[in-house]
Amino acid sequence: MTIRVELGTSLLARNEEMAAEIRYLCQDNNIFLVNIMSSPGAGKTTLLEKSLNFLKTHIKVAVIEGDIATTRDADRISAQGINAVQLNTNGACHLDARMVYQAFQKLDLSALDLILVENIGNLVCPAEFDLGENLRIVLLSITEGNDKIVKYPVMFRDAQMFLLNKIDLLPYTDFNLAELEKDLRTINSELEVFHVSARLGLGIEAWSNRLISIVRNHRRSES
Amino acid sequence: MHEMSLMAEMIELLGCSARENNIDKIIKVHLVVGKMTMALPDALTMAFDVFKTEDIFAPSAELTIEQRETIAKCRTCGSTFSAPDNYLFICPTCQGLRIEIISGRELYIASFEGEEA
Ligand SMILES: Nc1nc2c(ncn2[C@@H]2O[C@H](COP(=O)(O)OP(=O)(O)OP(=O)(O)O)[C@@H](O)[C@H]2O)c(=O)[nH]1
Ligand SMILES: [Mg+2]
Ligand SMILES: [Zn+2]
Repeated sequence: MTIRVELGTSLLARNEEMAAEIRYLCQDNNIFLVNIMSSPGAGKTTLLEKSLNFLKTHIKVAVIEGDIATTRDADRISAQGINAVQLNTNGACHLDARMVYQAFQKLDLSALDLILVENIGNLVCPAEFDLGENLRIVLLSITEGNDKIVKYPVMFRDAQMFLLNKIDLLPYTDFNLAELEKDLRTINSELEVFHVSARLGLGIEAWSNRLISIVRNHRRSES
Repeated sequence: MHEMSLMAEMIELLGCSARENNIDKIIKVHLVVGKMTMALPDALTMAFDVFKTEDIFAPSAELTIEQRETIAKCRTCGSTFSAPDNYLFICPTCQGLRIEIISGRELYIASFEGEEA
């Protein structure tokens, strides 16, 4: 006999359950969780290296590094004297909540205010996987071109903060800032925008200060 | 490229539900996929063919994918409109930019059929 089952179960349901567990852990420990996404090489790790120097003097921060393979990025962060956990997805193109939950087990949560997660370099897949984060940041670098906003709209639509990196290279490209701003407004009118050069350290203090104040406001409202 | 892991997840969920419902071999799966999930039907079907060799499926098992359009609702005037392909959301009624997505992010197993064990 044939049986028909009306299921209605989301393929992301179990990820969302794990994300809820992470939110619970963060609430319990008064931790602010940030998910940083970009295409490969946009400068996530460089941005973290530069910003951590500043952040660590104000708040207690740890980093979770997502990569398909190697511990290179976590090593770069550890070299700054920051606690870093490396996650390797062994081929998967995004981090999921289960992996981040495992990384949480390796951190002393009670001693932290902020955890920064560097997602796998990819502008498509990570957008679908909630990590239980409080803030989503997308990074775009000048050399990728301003059309990436309209080519990968979901990523930019779901973020709350946008960092335009490698601003030092602007004079050498045909990157169109005006078009970028127009497209950003129509895809996500509430996005907060910062221009930075992680390489030269430009704009790093401004966005770090903003992050610190977001974290502090959040902690105040939670406690 | 996340179609592979989405399919792996679908197989897990189907496996559990088939056991609960005393189903031995699954013959049909109906999946609903919103366009804004960026999960491509062709890539999902290809991934399904890879997993189809698992025990819970009959060799003839079929996956049907129902795609849903992206529909937005204007938070200013309340009108709904289907999103242009470039996702540059501007309300056609009031030119408002503050919008919310009401359809297009679906990604769920609507139903499946199988032979009783
Ligand atoms: N000119 C310039 N180069 C930069 C800047 N930021 C990063 N880079 C360079 O871009 C390259 C990639 O930087 P990473 O920080 O490794 O990029 P990532 O996003 O972490 O890369 P994945 O983790 O592999 O996805 C490196 O060679 C950096 O030195 C910048 O602001 N200006
Ligand atoms: Mg990196
Ligand atoms: Zn309107």
